[in-house]
Amino acid sequence: MLVNWAYTDRGTLYHRLDPRARIIFMCCALIAVGFVPGRGAGMWDLRLVAGFLVIAFLQIIISRITWKQMQRFWIVITVIAVMLSVITLLTGRGSVGVYSAADEHIIWSPTINLLGMSLHPQMSAERLTYLVTQIMRMMTFAALAVTIPFTFDPYMYGITFRKLGFGDKIAYAMDMAFRFIPTLGRDMQTIMDAQRARGFELESREGMNLFQRIRNFAPLLIPLTIGSVVSGEEISDAMDLRGFGIGPRTWLPQLKYNLVDWVYLIFGILLLAGAIVAKRAGFGGLWVPPWLY
Amino acid sequence: MMSSATPPLVVENLSCRYLTRDEYALRDVSFQVDQGQIILISGTSGCGKTTLLRCINGLVPRSYRAEVSGTILINGKDYSEKPLSTISQAVGTVLQDPERQIIGAKVLTEVAFGLENLGLPRDEIIERVDETLDYLGILHLKDRETFSLSGGEKQKLALAGVLAMRPDILALDEPLANLDPASAQEALKLIRWLADEGKTILIIEHRVEDVLAVKPDLSIHMEDKSISFVGSTDELIQTVDYELVKLPAPIVIERVKAGASPVPQITPIPEAKPESPALIEFEDVSFRYGDGPMVIKDVNLAIREGDIIAVLGPNGAGKTTLVKHAIGLLKPTSGSVRLDGTDSREMTAAQMARVVGYVFQNPRHMLFASTVREELAFGPKNIGQTPEEIEENTEQALDVVHLIEEADRPPLALSFGQQKRISIAAILSMRSSILVMDEPTAGQDYANYMSFMDSVAGIRADDSRAYGFSAIVFITHDIDLAVCYANRVLLIGDGRLVADGRPAEVLADFNQLLNHRVIPSSLLKANLEYLPQTGRFLRADVLAHALSD
Repeated sequence: MLVNWAYTDRGTLYHRLDPRARIIFMCCALIAVGFVPGRGAGMWDLRLVAGFLVIAFLQIIISRITWKQMQRFWIVITVIAVMLSVITLLTGRGSVGVYSAADEHIIWSPTINLLGMSLHPQMSAERLTYLVTQIMRMMTFAALAVTIPFTFDPYMYGITFRKLGFGDKIAYAMDMAFRFIPTLGRDMQTIMDAQRARGFELESREGMNLFQRIRNFAPLLIPLTIGSVVSGEEISDAMDLRGFGIGPRTWLPQLKYNLVDWVYLIFGILLLAGAIVAKRAGFGGLWVPPWLY
Repeated sequence: MMSSATPPLVVENLSCRYLTRDEYALRDVSFQVDQGQIILISGTSGCGKTTLLRCINGLVPRSYRAEVSGTILINGKDYSEKPLSTISQAVGTVLQDPERQIIGAKVLTEVAFGLENLGLPRDEIIERVDETLDYLGILHLKDRETFSLSGGEKQKLALAGVLAMRPDILALDEPLANLDPASAQEALKLIRWLADEGKTILIIEHRVEDVLAVKPDLSIHMEDKSISFVGSTDELIQTVDYELVKLPAPIVIERVKAGASPVPQITPIPEAKPESPALIEFEDVSFRYGDGPMVIKDVNLAIREGDIIAVLGPNGAGKTTLVKHAIGLLKPTSGSVRLDGTDSREMTAAQMARVVGYVFQNPRHMLFASTVREELAFGPKNIGQTPEEIEENTEQALDVVHLIEEADRPPLALSFGQQKRISIAAILSMRSSILVMDEPTAGQDYANYMSFMDSVAGIRADDSRAYGFSAIVFITHDIDLAVCYANRVLLIGDGRLVADGRPAEVLADFNQLLNHRVIPSSLLKANLEYLPQTGRFLRADVLAHALSD
């Protein structure tokens, strides 16, 4: 059985917005920050990205989602964002198309002796700015996305996707896919408990090679995967047994745009349009604070 | 009972073989049902009753590919060429586990789901949803999220989702399996009422005793993929093997007295000894999930050497949460749980598993190995048993749960009942000194679960496989399991330990039991009646012999 995201109707302005408007706004902002074509896809100007980050966090504040609800999400996202960005910095890759290596301004160039080797890492103003901007971009993506599940009434999942233009089957599949994520989390916890009750401990033991370490996850991943497949089949049978897919279906929930939805939606579209225009005009590329040189 | 010119269901010479199997799953089944009848279909696991249901509701051969011969007429029409969605309007199916049937995120959307699929006007859907929820007495749940409902509420919701579509025939696959006794009784009353309103109802159930309350109009008993009995329920309970199917205690007693069956070689369950050393101690234990309300409240309890404890109580009372503390999967919010004197907060669940074996309710959450034998060896390996010990313990556990023949098959390819037995064997093979089981009999047929409970409790005089557990704890909705195997009963209500004592004491207080949705069974009543003569609780056949002596 699928479980829902922890939803509480806090009655805020953000909760009252039509979920379609929220999804469209999120898509516009995500595309503007991450995918508008040009030199280095999306926004790399620290000041513009900061603007989007502020908007994203304003949404979180307005919607009054509690830190406790999001805590685990932010820990995971922060670890991933920082790790990926630092790896990119250390390996020197990832900045292709954002700035040219020939234009770098070296601000730090130590010599490090490690295991008899002499290393000469270089830190440039561009690399440092790239690191910070990349982390901010990822945080913006995360902040834009995290608001949706916690403010989205489960009653509205299917109809929202239907009214966004998807067919009945796809809209219902999206409804269930949305609920699949917290369900997977719940199942993983139960499986972990069941295996711990059999004396299983996940930590790697000494002398284990990579293959053995991966194998060590089998008692968790196999029940999780098989359980998901079997549940999928059962859900499919249960849907068939109640006439799903006979023809066009009626959707009980209803949605209607209000003025505030249009204002919010147009704001999102303007942000995207602005980003496209700025990119075309040559703005939005990596901006290095002058004081770093 | 009403009758109509065209019977709602006619099954003629139905045979079925799944394409993935060589043997037939159903052979030459024929019967006819009239409008407003309740038909009980009983039989042991694997007898073909679920396949019969799947053929009637159309899942076979549409979702489960199979070779089917014979005829099924629903309201006089042959639906074999029709899509499943069309059949579903005539035959509504409620699956055994409502968790596998509920699709909607909220109660309202769940009940409306089928009606939305039929493309009915919105106003009509709202009217039918309200009407159905009201009809089942769960209108107050309309805006609740489905996953937050109790087991009994989920079962009613699953039924509501099907009833709202107004099918002529209702097919119920073990509708009582996940319900506490009071919820089961409510469900049965509802089923009787639906039949009186003109619905034709097929109930698949191996707990025959429980279904007698609805007075089935016709009983069908299946054995070895075909029908072995068709007739009245009164005739069924006089003829069917009472060791295979659970029958009311007075019937078993009467039949044992009338027949010449040998006396079962069962040693009595030893009395609990309050002076025995405590193995696990709960001291002022309270627990809450996150910021939620307290689900366990001030529990003080000692599990002692020699205890065989049955934990009873309604759905959602906190039984599973309580026993999860015994193995350290949950740590108390306040108070303490001590295992052999050590606070559970200082031990991991994996460390505690060396002493306490815990069988989870759903076997799917633990099975992963490529063979049953490997699955059973996993726990023993984790706790450091030697290869010789692992082999010996694995073989013994396989024998106890009757799965030696399946030892080299993948556990995930076996039936749910077999998987449940593997999950029990996987803990037995660890040879923990304390065994904790959560609903060990769910999804099992009567003969199977009585057999492994005998071995686990070590009461078969001729059983060399008996386990010498220091203590056994099992959660159950089946009060007869407590009557037959427990020497101590805990009654849990709303997170509190309401009663703790000898079965003859706790189970004699009917008011207290009924207040906590535990319904006294015929076996309990018979035992209490004859207690002055027997001095202890006994299973029905043993009780009959004791009374004859």
